[in-house]
Amino acid sequence: MKPLDSTGTTFTRLSAGGTRRRDWTPWIVGAITALVLGLFLLYPIGKTMLSSFVRQGDDLSIWNLTFHNFTRFFTSPLYKQAFLNSLVVSLSTTVIATLIALPAAYAVARIQIPFRNLLMSLSVIPLIAPPFIGAYSWVILLGRQGIFTHYLNSWFGIELPSVFGPFGIILALSLAYFPFVFLIVQGALAAADPYIEESASLMGAGRWRMLRTITLPLVLPAILSGSLTVFIRALGNVGVPSVLGGDYYVLPTLILFQVEGFFNLNGASAIAIVNVLLVLVVLLIMRRISGQKRFVTVTGTTRGARRSVSRRARIFGIVYCWGLLALALLPQAVVLFSSFAERWTGTLFPVQYGLGNYRLILNDVLSPIINSLSLASVATVLALAFGVITAYVSLRKRFTGSWLIDLTIMLPFVLPGIVTGVAYLTTFNSGPIVLTGTAVILVFAYFVRRIAYAFRSISSAIGQVDPQLEAASAICGSGWMGTMRRITLPLIAPGILAGGILVFSTLIGELSVTIMLFSGRWKTVSIAIFEYLTSHRIAPASALGSIVVVITLVLVFAASRLLKRSMADMFK
Amino acid sequence: MPEPDLKVRSLTKVFETAEGPVTAVNNVSIDVEEGEFFSLLGPSGCGKTTTLRMIAGLETSTRGDIVFKGKNLAGLAPAQRNLGMVFQSYALFPHLTVFDNAAYGLRIRKLKGSEVKRRVDQLLGILGLDGLASRYPTDLSGGQQQRVSIARALAYEPDMFLLDEPLANLDAKLRVQMREEIRRIQRELGILALYVTHDQEEAMSVSDRIGVFQLGHLRQVGTPEAIYRDPTSLFVADFIGKINFFPAAQLSGDGGGARIRLASGFEAVLDRTKQLSDEEKAEFGISMDGVLAVRPEHLVLQPEGEPGIPGILRRVLFLGSMTRCFVETPDALREVMVELPERLPHLQEGGSVSLGFEPRNAIWFGSGNG
Repeated sequence: MKPLDSTGTTFTRLSAGGTRRRDWTPWIVGAITALVLGLFLLYPIGKTMLSSFVRQGDDLSIWNLTFHNFTRFFTSPLYKQAFLNSLVVSLSTTVIATLIALPAAYAVARIQIPFRNLLMSLSVIPLIAPPFIGAYSWVILLGRQGIFTHYLNSWFGIELPSVFGPFGIILALSLAYFPFVFLIVQGALAAADPYIEESASLMGAGRWRMLRTITLPLVLPAILSGSLTVFIRALGNVGVPSVLGGDYYVLPTLILFQVEGFFNLNGASAIAIVNVLLVLVVLLIMRRISGQKRFVTVTGTTRGARRSVSRRARIFGIVYCWGLLALALLPQAVVLFSSFAERWTGTLFPVQYGLGNYRLILNDVLSPIINSLSLASVATVLALAFGVITAYVSLRKRFTGSWLIDLTIMLPFVLPGIVTGVAYLTTFNSGPIVLTGTAVILVFAYFVRRIAYAFRSISSAIGQVDPQLEAASAICGSGWMGTMRRITLPLIAPGILAGGILVFSTLIGELSVTIMLFSGRWKTVSIAIFEYLTSHRIAPASALGSIVVVITLVLVFAASRLLKRSMADMFK
Repeated sequence: MPEPDLKVRSLTKVFETAEGPVTAVNNVSIDVEEGEFFSLLGPSGCGKTTTLRMIAGLETSTRGDIVFKGKNLAGLAPAQRNLGMVFQSYALFPHLTVFDNAAYGLRIRKLKGSEVKRRVDQLLGILGLDGLASRYPTDLSGGQQQRVSIARALAYEPDMFLLDEPLANLDAKLRVQMREEIRRIQRELGILALYVTHDQEEAMSVSDRIGVFQLGHLRQVGTPEAIYRDPTSLFVADFIGKINFFPAAQLSGDGGGARIRLASGFEAVLDRTKQLSDEEKAEFGISMDGVLAVRPEHLVLQPEGEPGIPGILRRVLFLGSMTRCFVETPDALREVMVELPERLPHLQEGGSVSLGFEPRNAIWFGSGNG
């Protein structure tokens, strides 16, 4: 029945006799999308692939093709180790994040817990705050001279493994990324039809049996999709292993090492390709698993799942959920705390508190703050403009090229930030388009990385506008432009604004692309924090980090008020 | 005879779907006079809405012409056709007040502010919306929203007034009230109205003329009374009001009448004969020569043995103004419905009866020459 309820402005081929002017908008939008896809995705990906098969220093030509950069994964212990480390870190992070998230998701969905909405909203903080900002907190807490280390040792005699290396990285990443699993599984559990479980219990299934045979299988797709996100993030994260890695290399830090140490773009390209292949392999495996198990979990019933009010369940729920959240927010708390430490060397706690760090950074790093804000603003405007036209066309017009839009939005998702960074560095360093060191390259990298955010929130806004409104406006005598200006844009404005805030706020602290593409002139706030951290100037790093996190939080909170959605919903 | 205002000629719409082309509207031609209230009636998916949307310009036509007062509308965008339209969902602009909704078309036509205010106030008054001008659509009841959408459609004095199932979202009582009101306003303004509905009672009660659609074809056009009394096909007979079908063999068909015989042996001579198409014969599963069609109010129940169609009285429903009876007989295609003006005391459920009718009230749909 699709064609019967299509809108009036549909793109339809006219046969003889029709003199109505052709609707060119899908073609124009298709061309813009193809340009973005070609220039900012396919071209960099292609050039990166090509350069990964060429030795450093050689020209990019088919005569120079070699497997040299890839054979190093077999010959060089550093490469081999980094590959294995990456697997260990990202798989462990995925497993741990999923395991700690599931009980919390179950508890929030099925147990009556006080301040449930507050808990959900706070759980997005680890997703908003760039994880590398909080990573050093684990050194302060668990390092050789750490606060916890001291007390654990003096009170219980417990020796902790070194926080530098896999222990610290996995800990920091698991606590930063578990909300991805928590939020999506909680949503699925809350939406699951209660009648299914009720009928199982009527048939005599006990609590554990029901969990194992009914509840878990029903939310398995949600679990898989959440843990896939965790895996991709963990595999692509460069900040945390840089801060906590030491000489424990993973693929992203190896890329960084190759680029910063030797400017070996060919080697970095090969590592990036291996990184993407890992993502793709896991993506395919996950699709395989979830493809076999597809259930319809959401039904017509408006009755939500029942929440247990039993005393034991509630105590467990409160302790577990709030405890986990406290642990996850601990790094941010430590960052905030140490941002006020004016003197803190060799002692367990700071000896002098004050606002000195904030004064220092306002003098020192005002220009990175301005850079970050302006780069993020321009990229946000681009992403929104692109999001509006692509979302409008894909929802409102019959358009054969919609796969172009899908591909443009999906591709950046499988490319970890550092990979996009390497690809852009390799591509726009030489050849027909040279952009390295400019603001333009950062803006376009940001833009491409955040298209999906903008597209998602704008298309959901357009989806809520009845196409009949546009038809009604046309009937009243308004042209297409007038209808856009008077009806469509005013109605989707909140969605555009919220999408913009989401894009903008997640770009302020962006590190993984920035670290590949920034230059002396275009240093951002995330680079400034990163440089403070790697030169062990923790207090100013914390002050700057606190500012970034607070700005981001305020913006996301504003967006959620604007959309009348909870903060948690915006990240599902 | 004056030239009709709206002339639709051979209008056709073919949708390209994944399963191949689907003809939603097939060669439809309609003439509508000045100030006429014309309904497009049919079951869902019959092409009536697509026809209306093509006239509005919201859908392009595959073939055919739409001419209004001598001007071909084919090349014009909806915005250039100067139409008013009421949608099933009302499609009120949620971010604009009642006043701004109603003033929308006037402002696009760049009328002076004072003139906009005068016209909108007047129209809101006619529609009983005074005092609601500064409200937003979400604060209004369904009936009020409906009135606002009528005000919006009529404010700029359009050439045609199009209504696409405007009453579908209202409750039964409001529906009756609103259709009377729509009809009153349309008469007052003397505007040509095209009204799409699937509700035959609604169409009968408001229309000057009705066009009955089925499967993309316009089956019959006429006044409500003509369509009811003189349907030209089994579909129209069945869709407009209620009717009983008795398949029968044709014994002779010369002259003005047809002599027919039912399975039970009952014979009748009928003056009113129509052609039954092979399509409909197949569609209704008729294996005999044709079908005798009689409305429930034209049947009478006679004691068993009197000349008529024999059957068994199954149910008697007393409905106040009339009594409805259901009779089972092998002669009929379905259970026979009889509507009697009064409750007859001798009716016994389960008893044998004989169905009688005046031949002038019955129609013979015959295939071929018998």
